[in-house]
Amino acid sequence: MSYADAALGLILLGLSAYLLFGGADFGAGLWHLLTRRRADKDVIEHAMGPLWEANHVWLVFVMVMSWTAFPPVFADIMSAHWVPLSLAALGIVARGSTFVFSKADPDQPWYPWIFGLSSIVTPYCLGSVAAVVATGGTTWLSLSGVYGGVLTTALCAYLAAVYLIWDARRLAGYEISMHFRGYALVSGAAVGLLALPGAAALGVRSPLILLSTAAGLASLVMIARRAYLAVRVTGALAVVAVLWGAAGMAGLDLDAAAAQDTVLQVVFVALGAGALVLVPSMAWLFVLFQRADADGVGGTVSGHRTG
Amino acid sequence: MSTVALLADAVTAASPLADAAGHAASPLADAAHGAASPADFMAARQQMAFTLGFHIVLASIGIGLPAITLLAEWRALRTGDPVYAELARRWMKAAGVLFAVGAVSGTVLSFEMGTLWPGFMDKYGQVFGAAFALEGIAFFIEAIFMGIYLYGWDRLSPRVHFLTGIPVVIAGLLSASFVLTVNSWMNQPRGFKLVDGEVTDVNPLAAMFNPATPVQAVHLILASLMVCGFIVASVYAVALLRDHRAGRVDRYHRLGFAIPFSLGAVCAPLQVVVGDWAIRFVADNQPAKFAAMEGVEHTEAGVPFRFAVFEIPNALSMMLKFDAHATLRGMDSIPADVRPPAEVVKTSFEIMIALGMALLALAAWWALSWWLRRRAAGRTGDLNGRRELPWKPWFLRAATLTGVAAAIAMEAGWTTTEVGRQPWIVYGVMRTEEAVNPSPGLRWGLYIVVGVYAVLAAATISVLRRMRRRPEPALPGGGTPAPPAAPEPPSTSGPASGSGGPDAVPGSDSDDADSDSDSDSRVGSHR
Repeated sequence: MSYADAALGLILLGLSAYLLFGGADFGAGLWHLLTRRRADKDVIEHAMGPLWEANHVWLVFVMVMSWTAFPPVFADIMSAHWVPLSLAALGIVARGSTFVFSKADPDQPWYPWIFGLSSIVTPYCLGSVAAVVATGGTTWLSLSGVYGGVLTTALCAYLAAVYLIWDARRLAGYEISMHFRGYALVSGAAVGLLALPGAAALGVRSPLILLSTAAGLASLVMIARRAYLAVRVTGALAVVAVLWGAAGMAGLDLDAAAAQDTVLQVVFVALGAGALVLVPSMAWLFVLFQRADADGVGGTVSGHRTG
Repeated sequence: MSTVALLADAVTAASPLADAAGHAASPLADAAHGAASPADFMAARQQMAFTLGFHIVLASIGIGLPAITLLAEWRALRTGDPVYAELARRWMKAAGVLFAVGAVSGTVLSFEMGTLWPGFMDKYGQVFGAAFALEGIAFFIEAIFMGIYLYGWDRLSPRVHFLTGIPVVIAGLLSASFVLTVNSWMNQPRGFKLVDGEVTDVNPLAAMFNPATPVQAVHLILASLMVCGFIVASVYAVALLRDHRAGRVDRYHRLGFAIPFSLGAVCAPLQVVVGDWAIRFVADNQPAKFAAMEGVEHTEAGVPFRFAVFEIPNALSMMLKFDAHATLRGMDSIPADVRPPAEVVKTSFEIMIALGMALLALAAWWALSWWLRRRAAGRTGDLNGRRELPWKPWFLRAATLTGVAAAIAMEAGWTTTEVGRQPWIVYGVMRTEEAVNPSPGLRWGLYIVVGVYAVLAAATISVLRRMRRRPEPALPGGGTPAPPAAPEPPSTSGPASGSGGPDAVPGSDSDDADSDSDSDSRVGSHR
């Protein structure tokens, strides 16, 4: 395996993490906007984390890895799609700040609205760019762009609902968890109906379709059977298989665009050394969160948050 | 090549400019890349400047606030004084909010690297990319330990809790330094070769440890500590002025002022020394920038020092070369097509110097009068008087302006170095207009971004003001647990919760703390 392959693998890993963790945050914002029930909103706010949008770290990681390892690819994508990507960036700003602001200043009615809307706009824009890159299209306003945007937003909503069932049951009890169970079933069915015909229309012939379908169906069964922790795994698998399928379609010419090995070596050494500090400190933070939860004062409690 | 070998090369690496001579003078050689319209090009530069300028202030606070928080907590550990603990707790909460805004405004910059400057990233992304990878790691560590620090307040022993704050400070300094290596690389590009316009022989460590890195990193870190120290101090200066008008003494406000102001005051003279180092470096390495900063139009001997309307004969030659008749390069020695806009550079440089000197003067007065009082108190054996600080209304009024002044000085310094590098995005190697995104309509991006950021700034300030008015239980390891995520029930508001609050601090020298208007509004505004 060449250094470029390893870099690409890391980028895909980062994208997967961003979709599974950051995507769930976006989806939670979507449900926060859609639901009228205060109790649902409380569960979402509680589960979403206290401090800041840690999961954007994955996106920044992906961008830094891309411009370091494959500079021309990064430059081409960013310059060609600067409009949706700028909108996504502004969406991230609006979302991250209004989330923190509405905790600090709960009386301001604008913050939850902006938070919810930007939670939809951001994954839509990112998803449409991803679809255009994957299908070799030209603009995010094309049919494949719109499809990618809608599909990505729906995937995020589905992930969030799946993750939140367990949080809701732990934090707010049986009745509230039934709300999220309903959201998960509805959005799961919707995503399946959106993804499969889309894949057929785009001519995807990947075994990943089968994997995603099987995982998606298994998730529906598990939700019905109330296996709320196990469904997090199958739900995540169903979603991330879509991303891998799209990545397989893209077929970018990466070897010609790859940075020199000396560069990638330094990056890998840095990431390895960083992981030696990051992993234990993240574990410690996670333990503190758990203890905070046990104390009954809350915090970021769900396992999916810390990746 | 091993990492160690790369590091060794970094020390000896030569500038690629020699190789680049044949290519550097060919702006827009890459015709296939197209070109942005002048309006869009200018908009892209303004958008980058604006978003970076915004981020720089937040990042400064992100570096400085954990440091002053730890200073306060260290004093709390040493003295057991709950006022320090209360300050530490409040500052770290504010740091948490500002960190969130800073994190997203930093994410925007990552996007803009590609959406605004694809030509730059395309060609040189691999040269400086590793620095950003390191920055990302440091930033992640900072975020995690900030979470540990905030969450551990009531769950770790005071000593361990204090120690968990130290990685926040160190990682903040490291992440700022790593980012800065990229900017210093843009001023002193190293660690690659250009062969027929293609980048080869990339050595990312040589790029990172380019000659401009040490001076720029130290200059920036001191600046950010000054910005943060003076901004926080100016908030408390306002409160102290209110106290003064009402004839009160509030120890919480006094310490809240003294700690950050002292940090700024200590950094101010150091910054003068580092600034001197910086200008000498620029004079040796970027003659066009130097000529623009100092307004040297013609290469001549015995150059006068010109500042605003003043002119001191021979002084610039004297200061720079310790020789009143030394010859300095002027703008006329620079080819016309690679001259920076001298007026902008000179004006912003002068603003930075003037504000920096004003801050230094205020800091010096503070230090001197503190020392005089201490000496006088020591002579009379008045132990309490030894800790008395000089509170004069004129001083407090001036101090309320120090935050804004330091921030403007930092922006002006940033403008000086960035505009002074023009027309190059990579000094001597790539012109800025070669780097810009050729897509039409970039200026619309600028308008929208400015609008969004204006709202964001207003909202941030309004939220911080609200946080200031909220009652806050304080004692680490004791007190009421109130981690930031917990939805705070309204019932904790008001004086009832204030066992550790500033109003009930034992040993406080407040005349009448309970009538504190600030605490009244805290209670009143909280529903």
